[in-house]
Amino acid sequence: MDDLPLQKIAISGPTLASIIQRFSSSPGDVDGLLFGHVAHLTPSDLPDDDGPESSSIRSDSPTLVATITSYYCSGTVNSFYDSLGRIDVNALSLLLSDRGPGRSLIGWFTGRRKTPLRPSMREFSVSASLCSKTLNLSPHEDFLSSLNSPPCVFIIFSTPFSDQLVHTHEHRAFQFRRSTGVFEPKSMDVINIGPAFRGHYGTFCPSSPFPWLSCGLSDTEGKSHMNLNQMRRISKDQKTLDSCAEGFEFGRMSSLMGSEAVNYTSKLENLYEKMLAKLEELARLVEKSSDKVLEQENRNIKLRQKVAGLE
Amino acid sequence: MAMAANALPPLIASQLNYLLTHSPLPVKVDQIWSGCKNSFLSDRFTLLIPFCLDYIRWDVIYNAQFPLAAPDIIFSPEDENFHPLPISGEGGGEVQSPRSSLRDWNSKDPSRLMSLIHELRDVYMSYQRKRVGELDDERLKFEISTILSREGIEVGIISGADKPEEVKFAVPLLDMDLNKLVDGCPWKHQQKIYLQVVFPVSRKYSSAPCAPRVKLISSSEIKALFSTDDVRLPPWVDGMCMAEYLPTLEETLKAQVLEAVASIGIRRRFIEALVPHFGRPVEADPVFCRKATVLAASGVFTFLVHFFLSTQFPKQQPVLMLQSSQHFNSQGAPIMSPPLVDYPWSPRWEISQMAERIFDFLVEESLSFKKYCNETQL
Repeated sequence: MDDLPLQKIAISGPTLASIIQRFSSSPGDVDGLLFGHVAHLTPSDLPDDDGPESSSIRSDSPTLVATITSYYCSGTVNSFYDSLGRIDVNALSLLLSDRGPGRSLIGWFTGRRKTPLRPSMREFSVSASLCSKTLNLSPHEDFLSSLNSPPCVFIIFSTPFSDQLVHTHEHRAFQFRRSTGVFEPKSMDVINIGPAFRGHYGTFCPSSPFPWLSCGLSDTEGKSHMNLNQMRRISKDQKTLDSCAEGFEFGRMSSLMGSEAVNYTSKLENLYEKMLAKLEELARLVEKSSDKVLEQENRNIKLRQKVAGLE
Repeated sequence: MAMAANALPPLIASQLNYLLTHSPLPVKVDQIWSGCKNSFLSDRFTLLIPFCLDYIRWDVIYNAQFPLAAPDIIFSPEDENFHPLPISGEGGGEVQSPRSSLRDWNSKDPSRLMSLIHELRDVYMSYQRKRVGELDDERLKFEISTILSREGIEVGIISGADKPEEVKFAVPLLDMDLNKLVDGCPWKHQQKIYLQVVFPVSRKYSSAPCAPRVKLISSSEIKALFSTDDVRLPPWVDGMCMAEYLPTLEETLKAQVLEAVASIGIRRRFIEALVPHFGRPVEADPVFCRKATVLAASGVFTFLVHFFLSTQFPKQQPVLMLQSSQHFNSQGAPIMSPPLVDYPWSPRWEISQMAERIFDFLVEESLSFKKYCNETQL
């Protein structure tokens, strides 16, 4: 079950766009990890007639699809492997430590400008080492990656050699086959883009976790079968929410209905204004911290250049 | 320090320069370009590395942003199965034959790129040998078993999109140091003459294997001494193998090379024989004695005479060119005569007589050259 051919690799538009953005805004080459899951494709468009071709295709090839749901971009090169392409297990486990459910490692990528879309000497070695049987990265079993596929996906991002072209980025996806030791080029589907997107809604299955705020459950019967820890967490969440609501606690929302509503509208508008002000403040904070990050990055570049004898 | 746009960072530049100047292999750089966002610093280049009498193209990818990081290499599309790096975790945990230049890479050591390229080329050589050995061709298997022990031999598969597969052998000939044969030899690289043998890969069902294509190829600098085009190759008899073919070839080739070395002396004596007639040469090639220039005068008309001596001298007479020191064309360049080859000559003459006859010829030729100069100048 562990070295089956993928039929294709799927990635959501925002994830792809985000990787390209990270790559194109970085001064040099980058690499990173790809997370997601590998699943059997359920054909959503069952044909009425069972033609000889369609049935044969479906019966003897399990259609596996690797879906990339998120990524980590290091902003540098050789982030989890050395110059020989040997995996630095410590660095890799550090990068994998805070992943949630459904975020199992399914591969990696590199972004290198103006290079051929072929795996390099080191990239081959990295992929081969990642897929190697002895490298044990997933001690606990993930519910989504029950197929237990090795992290065999590899994507090269590059830019065209000529500046004259209309497109500014190109990419190519591969599956590394452990059994044969070769990279097989795979097609990459961008979900919700292209004429075939309608099918995606039919098979939609949310894969990103949504934060669950257990507030407003003030009825006593709910509380009765909760343990102390849960109650403590709930009251903590409630406090956070209350600080945002500026004393406009959830319970008062019910007053918005019925005859008293008129009196509350102005108070509610007041609350929105305060929230907007808070958001603006937050935006300014983010701006300031980005500024500092940029400053530090420039300092790093200067330091690196100094080391390289460029100054 | 102000850097010119698109310059290589100093650490990378010194590694590339070291490779180009110190490598015993004539490595060439095809193009240099930048992989940075602002294209200010160049950090990648294509190397042309000699292999099996041809060049293989390897893209060397450095990172100007991380100049201390080791470079990566992207091989040609036809070498997609060439993977020189050991894979960690495979092969019983022990990492086999680690590439020492990449391990503990040190960017400040300018020789690192050269040792990396040499190491990888060695691995590439065994990779090609292995591929040829895996071909299902009895004749090639036999050739390999008999010839591959020869020192310096290289072999590779030539495959193109629309032609049948072939196997090329590059066999270094003559077990002698050609650089040492010539006094004051200016050659930086070790000169060699190779026999290129191209075998078509025959499948089992094809009955009689056809003869391979054979060709002599020499390093380019050796042409000043000896031209491989002048060597007549012995015919390849049906059913022959390389081990049978090479001894006769090497014997005749050796005789011809020694003859070519001896002919340097004859050319030197010829140039020396010019002195009584023309005075000391203004310029002469002191190593191979292929060129000499003397100053001549006919009345007040002074001109230079260029002598070009072929490797076949004295069988082939020298080519003469006259250059006026008084007449210039519209571009301001001195007027030259066309190459002169049609004058009395016999390879059986004494050397002194050759010089004397040329002097006599030039006494007359100078008049028509002067006329030619006056016409061309107007």
